[in-house]
Order: sequence, then C-alpha cells, then structure tokens
Amino acid sequence: MTDTQWPRFYVFKQDTADSPYLNCGSVHASDGEMALLNARDVFVRRPDCVSLWVAPASHVTEVTVDGLEALESPGTSGQEQDYEVFTKSASKGQHARVGQVVASSPADALRKASEAFNGDSWVWMVVPTSTIVASPEDEGPAWFEAARDKPFRHQSFYRTERLIREIKAGQHDPPGDE
Amino acid sequence: MKTDLKPQLAGYLLAMADDEIILAHRNSEWTGHAPILEEDIAFTNLAVDEMGHAGLWYRLHAELVDEDPETYPDRLVFFREAPFFRNVQMVELPRGDWAFSMLRQYLFDVAESVWLPGLADSSYQPLAEAASKIAREEMYHLRHTQAWIRRLGRGTPESHRRLSQALDEIWPYALQLFVTQPTDKDLAAEGLVPLRSAGREAWLAKVEADFKASDLALPEGGEPPTTDRRAHSEHLVGLLTEMQSVARAYPGVSW
Amino acid sequence: MVGKQGDQDKLAAFEDRIARGEKIEPGDWMPEAYRKQLVRMISQHAHSEVVGMLPEGGWITRAPNLRRKLVLLAKVQDEAGHGQYLYHAAETLGVDRQELLEALLTEQAKYSNIFNYPTLSWADIGIIGYFVDGAAILNQTMLARCSFGPYSRANIRICAEESFHMKQGKEMVIRMARGTPEQKQMVQDAINRWWWPTLMMFGPHDSNSPNSPQLIRWGIKTRTNDELRQTFIDNLIPELHALGLTVPDPDLSFDEGAGHWTIGEIDWDEFYRVIHGDGPCNKERLDARRQAHEDGRWVREALAAYAERVETAEAS
Repeated sequence: MTDTQWPRFYVFKQDTADSPYLNCGSVHASDGEMALLNARDVFVRRPDCVSLWVAPASHVTEVTVDGLEALESPGTSGQEQDYEVFTKSASKGQHARVGQVVASSPADALRKASEAFNGDSWVWMVVPTSTIVASPEDEGPAWFEAARDKPFRHQSFYRTERLIREIKAGQHDPPGDE
Repeated sequence: MKTDLKPQLAGYLLAMADDEIILAHRNSEWTGHAPILEEDIAFTNLAVDEMGHAGLWYRLHAELVDEDPETYPDRLVFFREAPFFRNVQMVELPRGDWAFSMLRQYLFDVAESVWLPGLADSSYQPLAEAASKIAREEMYHLRHTQAWIRRLGRGTPESHRRLSQALDEIWPYALQLFVTQPTDKDLAAEGLVPLRSAGREAWLAKVEADFKASDLALPEGGEPPTTDRRAHSEHLVGLLTEMQSVARAYPGVSW
Repeated sequence: MVGKQGDQDKLAAFEDRIARGEKIEPGDWMPEAYRKQLVRMISQHAHSEVVGMLPEGGWITRAPNLRRKLVLLAKVQDEAGHGQYLYHAAETLGVDRQELLEALLTEQAKYSNIFNYPTLSWADIGIIGYFVDGAAILNQTMLARCSFGPYSRANIRICAEESFHMKQGKEMVIRMARGTPEQKQMVQDAINRWWWPTLMMFGPHDSNSPNSPQLIRWGIKTRTNDELRQTFIDNLIPELHALGLTVPDPDLSFDEGAGHWTIGEIDWDEFYRVIHGDGPCNKERLDARRQAHEDGRWVREALAAYAERVETAEAS
C-alpha cells in the first residue's frame, strides 16, 4: 500500500448566520467525517464560526473568467443535481458562496452560475451539494463555542506594547532597582 | 455547603484537576510528532482543552481551601512531589504509540461524558457552571476519539493489533477511574458530585458499543492496579521531574 | 512563431495584471518560472513552520507555569496550522503534499535556517517569540500582499495569528529582563545566541540576492531583504535598550543623520554552512521529522484502508 497524505477536502466556513460560506483552505483527511473534524481544529480555533462544510477536492471544479470561455460544451451528460456556487468578486478576498444552481455537470453548473450570478467575478467554483459534509446544526456550541474561551490565542491578551511604551517613558522603575 | 464537606470537595476537585493536567501533559508530547499535520493540530486541541479544564478545577479547589486562585494552581502543579498528586495511574503512563494515546483519551472522554451531567447538576454552583462549560468541549472530544477508535479498529490488521494491545495494557488502569474514594459518599449524599462508581455501567455500555464497531472485545473482569489515588507509578516521577524542572530551578519568580 | 508571440503577449498581460495589483489565481495563465518560484518559496515556507514546531515544542513539557504551558502549546499548534495553510497554497499549484514532504525528508527542499539552532534554556522560548516571530511578521505582512491569491490569503491568515506569537514571547522577555538577576542573565544569554541567526532570516544582502528584482516585478516580494532587516533592527534595538538588554554587536551604533541603527558584519559563512546542513541541529530536526513520518505510516495506512472499506461497502 502506498503511503499518502490522504485526499484533500475543500473547507468552507460560515462565520455568522448572516454571512456567506467562505472557502478558507483545505484539509487532508481519509474521509468526510474526519475532514470535518480536522477542519474544525485547523480553521476554528478562534471565533467566529457557526457552520462548517467540507467537500472532496475531486468534486470541486474551479475556473477563472478566461477559463469559462474555454469550457467544453456540457452536452447532455449526467443527471441534474444541485450545485453550490462560490465566486470571488473582487481581486482580493476569499471565494464566497453566492447560491445554488441545478445542472447536469460541473461545466454546465459553471455556465449557469456565471449567468445566474452576474457581477464582476474573477473565479467561479462549483461543488455538488450532495458531496458536502456539514457540521451538525444542533451541535454548534460543542463545535464552535470553545473557540471563544481561549482569549490567550489573541494578541490583545498581551499588554506588551503599552508596557514597553511605559518602560521607555520611564514610568516604571529601571530594571535592577527592584 | 456543610463546612466539614469543603475539604472533601476540595480533594475531589484536586483529583479531577490532576487527572486533566497529567493527561494534557502526556498528550502535548505528541505535538510536532503526530502521524499527520492535521493531527498535530487536532490532538493538540484536546491537550489545550484539558489544560483549560485543569485550570478551572484547580481554581475551584483553591477557593475552597482559601488560597489565591491566581497563584495556588501553579504551586500545586509545579511544586508538589509525586506522592501528593491525586490523578489515576492511567494518565501518567508513557504515551506509547498512537493507538495507546488515542485509546487512553477515548476511555477518559467516555468517562467524562458519564460524569459531567451529574457534575453540571451539582448543588455547588461554581462547580455546576464549570462542568457545563467543560461538557460542551467534551462532546466534541468524544466525537473525535470515537471516530479514531473505529478507524483504528477496522483499518488494517496492524492498526487493529496495536489497538488490541493497547487495550490489554490499559484496561485495568481504566477501571481505576470508577473507584469511589472514601470521602466521595458524603459529597454525593449532599448532591455535590456524582459517585464515580455510579458511572461505571454507563461507561461500559458506551465503550462496548464503540468497541463492537471497532471489532474489539470488551475485556472481562480485571482489577485496577490500585484503588488509592495516592498510589503512583514511577512514571509520574519522571514526568514531574521534567514538568517542574524550570519552575523549581527558580522558585518564586514571575514568568 | 505565433506560439512565441502568444506567450510574450500573455507574459505582458500577466505582468500588467500584477502591476495593477490584481491577484493571480490557480487556473490563470502564469509563466512557468513564476509557478516554479512560488512552489519553491511556498513549500519552503511551509516546511519552516513544521520544522519550527520542534525547537519550542520540546519545551512545552518544561514550561514553568500553567499560563506559559497553555500559551506555548497554543502557539506551537498555530505553527502546525500555518504549515497547513501554506501546503494548501502550494497544492493549488498542482503539487502533492506527499511529494513536498518527501523532498523535505530527503533534504532536497530547504527550510528556514533559524530552526537549526538549539533551544538551550527557557529564555530561548521568549526570544524566539519576540525575535523570530517578530521577523516573520515583517516578512509575512509583505507576503500578504503577494500577487498569488492562495499564498496571499494564507499569509493574511497567518499574520492575524502571528501577532500573538510575538507578543507572548515579548511578554516573557519583559518579565525576565525585569525579574531576578538570574532571569535577566538567562534572557541576555539567549539574545547573544539568537541575535545574529535572526538577522540572517531576512536573507543575504540585496547585492547578493539575484532573484529579488524579478520577485519584485512579479509581486512576490515588495520589499528587499535589507529593507526588512533594517526595519526589524530599528524597531527592536530601542526596546531592548529600554529593558536593559544588549545585542552582541560591538559595532552597533545609531546613525543620527539616517535615523537608523547600523550593525556590524553578518557572518555569511555561518549562514551558508548552516543552510548546507552543517548547523547545530540540522540532523536532529530532520531526524525528528523522519521519525514522526515513519511512526505515522501505519496510522495513515489504517485510515486509508478504512475509508476504502467504507466506500466499497457503500458502493455495493
């Protein structure tokens, strides 16, 4: 058996109930359940997060605006299914979910997405909804609240800059005088 | 709470805290050496959580013995000799291989899952609050370790063999988790804590179900190596020597 | 001929995009040299984070109080996380993480030299946070503006977390510098050992960095090695002096006119010796990574086998 780093799963994170899922990166995992667990530990050590999705990289199709034109005609292949659509609508920033389309193939989904969700998009990404593994809705607190209880992971927990300023201004006894 | 129960409750909390800190310490030995990068992150998260839990229990203990909750925990952890720790022996054992560490964590997580509801119902409010908070994190821990046990059990012949071996080694130690200390009965009678022994059946049932999904057999019988939390193996001495080395070299300073 | 002209046009368009501050995404046309540079840079950066867990990771078991223990554990965990984000960025360029790891473990790939130095005392942990993460912040803040989208985003995420790394180290150093004479001596000794290697983190002098101009034109670098190094020194020296600490440089002086601190000569012989494998800990670092990789083989295989089993069962 060849040793591998396990397949990749794309990770999509929803920070608050009102914000879209954003593609924050990927994790290597042997299966969807492990991918979800790993995604939580890799991407949610700090607030905020209310929901997490993972999808096998093999099912994620991404294309740049130029690539869209070069897409092969989808033909009449495949059964129709739901696809989640992500796009990057500014040069900077992460891929954000804009909605869903029904399509018979990734290429078909990409075309429909670029028609349905207009605007200046740089990159399109589609994922069949059925391939997404989602964090359990009713377990939000167990999965994501813990991140709030770890203030030591945030730089504001350390008052170093104020302390250095005060030391420089001579507001503390010089070291060695104590 | 009856005044005479305060020291007893303090002792119960100290034992819980010691379990957590020693286990967290052992788990932290994997950081940088885990089988894959994602687990360097994930398994470390378990250690971070356990360390946080230890801190919570130590602070509650400090309050009950009229010590400063900000400074007393460090004195307890870094300046106590091995005979004065109150953890079960299971957590002080060396980390072994990945199967051993994961199984140990799993068995501990299941134990916490059966006790925490009772602790969250404690008539001592601060304890109840701490337990509710911890229970949330523990739910996630159990998901993680459960998923691992299944996969190691039904992965390859090698992973199964290692898990099986780990089980043979750790089982008697795990049973010590459910030994009720002499003082616990009074505490339980006052609704302050659940009896540890009362959790044993529920623990066995959960573990048996998960073992089935891992092709493991629940060992029969077995006796813990000790029923006294004051009794430790020499492993604890080695562990503390390392853990306390810097602190003891410079007692009383601020870090 | 048409092909060549096409490529030249594409290159011009590509460089225009970068000049306009646009991000290049996986799937966009890019010169092969750009792709290769990025794969090398990003994977080296990733390897550094992973190897970087080791010098500090070894001290988690000896942290002198609960707060320090917890904070160090969280910090080292973050380093693993950073490695993870960076490997992802490299993977978007079509390389497999297994390949990248093999390159590291067989010494084909490099990682930051700084992690080839030993951590000899608890004070080293404070200095690594303060100095090494401080230096990394300058570098990563620059890389967050990099033209390649995934690498830029990885660095943005890293920068958000790195401030905590630097500050927890700085906090330790401040306390030790103002603590007992023994603590102050410990931290001064740590500085004496880590100062020069930290300065070398910024790379060779600009005059010896042939890649820099192209990296700047392609938006991979926006500041030169010497610029970053100078910023680092100017920020740090006044703070160290305020704490009653010094750096091991008899030639250190303040140039009033330029408003900069000038340093003595960096020992580039040491830099190249260590980079080529002759540093104090090169062998130990790689041995540790190889050991972890080997020890983990049965685990990775087990979970892969389980996944296959489940898939087969579901398919039937």
